[in-house]
Amino acid sequence: MTPAGFVVAFAALFWGLGGAIWLLKRRSYTLRQVPQFFMDLLGFPVELAQSVWGRGGVPYALLLPNMLIFGFFTFLPVILNFYVSFTGGASISLFDRPWVGWEKYGEIFNCESIFTPKTCTNPGYNFWTGMFNTLWFAAIQVPILCVVALITALVVNQNIKGRGFWRAMFFYPVMLSPVVIANIWNWVLHRKGALNASIGEAREAMTGLAGLSGFDMVATVLFAVILLIVSERTLRGNDGPSASWAGVFGALLALLVYWAQPLSLIGMGGFGWLGLALGAGLYWVVSSGQSAARLVVIGAGILCVALLLAIQFDSVFSFGRYRPINWLVTPNTGWPFFWLVFVFCWSHMGFYMLILLAGLQAIPRDLYEAAKMDATKPFRAFYRITLPLVMPTLTVVLVLSLIRSFQIFDEVYLLTGGGPGRETFMVVQNIYEVAFSNDHPDYGQAAAGSILMAVVIAVFTFFQLWITRRQSDL
Amino acid sequence: MSVATFLTRTKGNKDTAETFSIQDFLAYAYLLVGVLVILVPVLWTFFSSIKSDTAVESFDTRLAPMSQISQEITGVGPKDIWVYTAEDGSTQLVYKAGPTRKLTDVALVDQPDEVFKVPRKSLSPHEEMRVATENYLDPILKRNGQDNFQFFTYLYNSVFVTVVATLITLLINAMAAFALSKYRFKGRLTFTILIVATLLIPSSIILVSLFFVVWSFGIFGSLWGVIIPAAATPTGVFLLRQYMLTIPDELLEAARMDAASEWRIFWRIIIPLSLPALSVLAILSVIWRWNDFLWPLIVLISDPATHTLQLGLTQFAGEFDTNFHYILAMTVVTLIPITLVFVWLQRFITTGIATTGLK
Repeated sequence: MTPAGFVVAFAALFWGLGGAIWLLKRRSYTLRQVPQFFMDLLGFPVELAQSVWGRGGVPYALLLPNMLIFGFFTFLPVILNFYVSFTGGASISLFDRPWVGWEKYGEIFNCESIFTPKTCTNPGYNFWTGMFNTLWFAAIQVPILCVVALITALVVNQNIKGRGFWRAMFFYPVMLSPVVIANIWNWVLHRKGALNASIGEAREAMTGLAGLSGFDMVATVLFAVILLIVSERTLRGNDGPSASWAGVFGALLALLVYWAQPLSLIGMGGFGWLGLALGAGLYWVVSSGQSAARLVVIGAGILCVALLLAIQFDSVFSFGRYRPINWLVTPNTGWPFFWLVFVFCWSHMGFYMLILLAGLQAIPRDLYEAAKMDATKPFRAFYRITLPLVMPTLTVVLVLSLIRSFQIFDEVYLLTGGGPGRETFMVVQNIYEVAFSNDHPDYGQAAAGSILMAVVIAVFTFFQLWITRRQSDL
Repeated sequence: MSVATFLTRTKGNKDTAETFSIQDFLAYAYLLVGVLVILVPVLWTFFSSIKSDTAVESFDTRLAPMSQISQEITGVGPKDIWVYTAEDGSTQLVYKAGPTRKLTDVALVDQPDEVFKVPRKSLSPHEEMRVATENYLDPILKRNGQDNFQFFTYLYNSVFVTVVATLITLLINAMAAFALSKYRFKGRLTFTILIVATLLIPSSIILVSLFFVVWSFGIFGSLWGVIIPAAATPTGVFLLRQYMLTIPDELLEAARMDAASEWRIFWRIIIPLSLPALSVLAILSVIWRWNDFLWPLIVLISDPATHTLQLGLTQFAGEFDTNFHYILAMTVVTLIPITLVFVWLQRFITTGIATTGLK
């Protein structure tokens, strides 16, 4: 008989039979009180504790089941982890496991340099590859997730129509299970999936458009007119340029720079970030209310005219035939990693947005009214009121999402399986494969890996809390 | 007055009139794009799942579920029907009498014997709009050799785990929360700190040793091995405790005056009064349990009879890389319950998570 079977049988006997007798001896129940009787029977240990130790014993009895489960299934494993990491062999019985000391850690650290996992032995290679992939993933994904969640929360927090609907829509993917998410995105990102099909169709349509005679001219003029309207709107306000229009203007500028590729003149092609940097810089200058904002906008306008003149539309619209790739399998492209970050943000953003939304709604309205009285610009209000007051919530979100993204397993395992090669191999998958999906399970190795991972998570958490503490002191 | 202002103005003078500014436009554009990014993949999966297998296999990107008509040809058997467009623009219904080549042998449906050659490019499938219910019904009813997906077993296991685990979680978390919120006793702080500490222990770093513990309890490989270890949740305890602190102590004192036992106070006063918090925790627990993946994967993977819906779906998708139409249909089936729960209860869920701030 297994221990669990024994425990269950004993508990059933004690609880069911003993409890029933005990209760029936003390209280009388009418036929209508049968549900009441079963309810009392359910709480029999609590009743017993009260009659033996008085009211003082009740809280302990109430806490007992919760604490038993925490003790056996959370605290005991934490301690056991250390023990298992010092033992070897594939035995499942804890007492049959031979003590090997630091050997399992030694295997992981058996490298010339842990920063180049290729110089390690096999376990070390797998572990450190997973570790650095995970760190890289967290470093990229957490800031993106936090920024997108914050922007979404700010937008949803505005006075817009159908707030509940938008909020619910952004939250919906959080409810979906990882398997469903993986199947959905696998279907979209497949080589012949919806994404490739729509990119191909868009390219064909663009190529077709570009082939029309006079299209270059029309497109240039259209773009010039749009630029004219937007820059006029930006410069219109009495008290400095408008930040929102400056944002649109910045986006157009980024697009234009991306098309014109001015750096290719000096032999530096492929710098798509330059446009983004210019656009963001323009937005920042205007929204933070710099005194030279108007001049900067005018300068950007002149730059736009120059770029428009410089653009050779023929070369811009010469789209070649689109070759569909399988986004999740093609190696050495970085796409599998990109899509993992994307899918992870897609599925978790709504949750962090809700937390941030709660933080935003806790900010008192009168602060904004006071700012409005003083004719504060929206960006300044955001920077001076919203951001400092939402900072505690943002820190919670940062810590939560960091710990969460460090433990990423489901999405990766189901979408890419760690591939192509080891490009998206994460540390939890390493633990899982070493211990559970291996013909020769090495529990010691996996336990040592999880302890090292716990150390990293702990360091991150404390570092972040420390930074927050410093901030709140200032 | 610009057109936009004219169209969107409301009653009132110029100062208070609501104008549709660029901020609003940007906000709505952002929301619209975001919702499209979220909804399009889900809807695309749904629309693909009701297409026939040939349409799914050939990655038909049309939205409507078009499928080629198959018809019984006398003396030949069932054949796919094609539309032959002759050079003068007239169309005829034909079937392919031989392999597809540059010049393909076809014959009219009405006259199956007269085979003639037509260019391949002049043939197009004869289609009708049809919802491919077989994608759903085959795996569920085990037709057409689809007996790998034990749908009702998986559904039963998933529902069992979800319901039982949620009930246990609600009961023991409410008991612990009651103790921590309504009693003064030695060690209350210690217990509180212990429960906070469990928040800081990520589940994935204790996988290996939790496996050993569950194994030695003899519940490895059974559904109880999934239900019990995560039954006590620190989130739940804190959520309920915060709520129970708002219940006035006078109610408890009054009940004690009437000689109610502590358990009856818990059951008759505390539980009914904290129903809002309990329902939030219930919803959260249902989501956690229904979507749980890694731990069931470790505990239940060896025996297909204990698989939950999520595991069954993973195994199913792993077995056939080609039968996308079944995988998509079963994905939609797995997605539907949680979507319905969400549509009905989204107000509870969103406010519940916003107040606990934890998941």
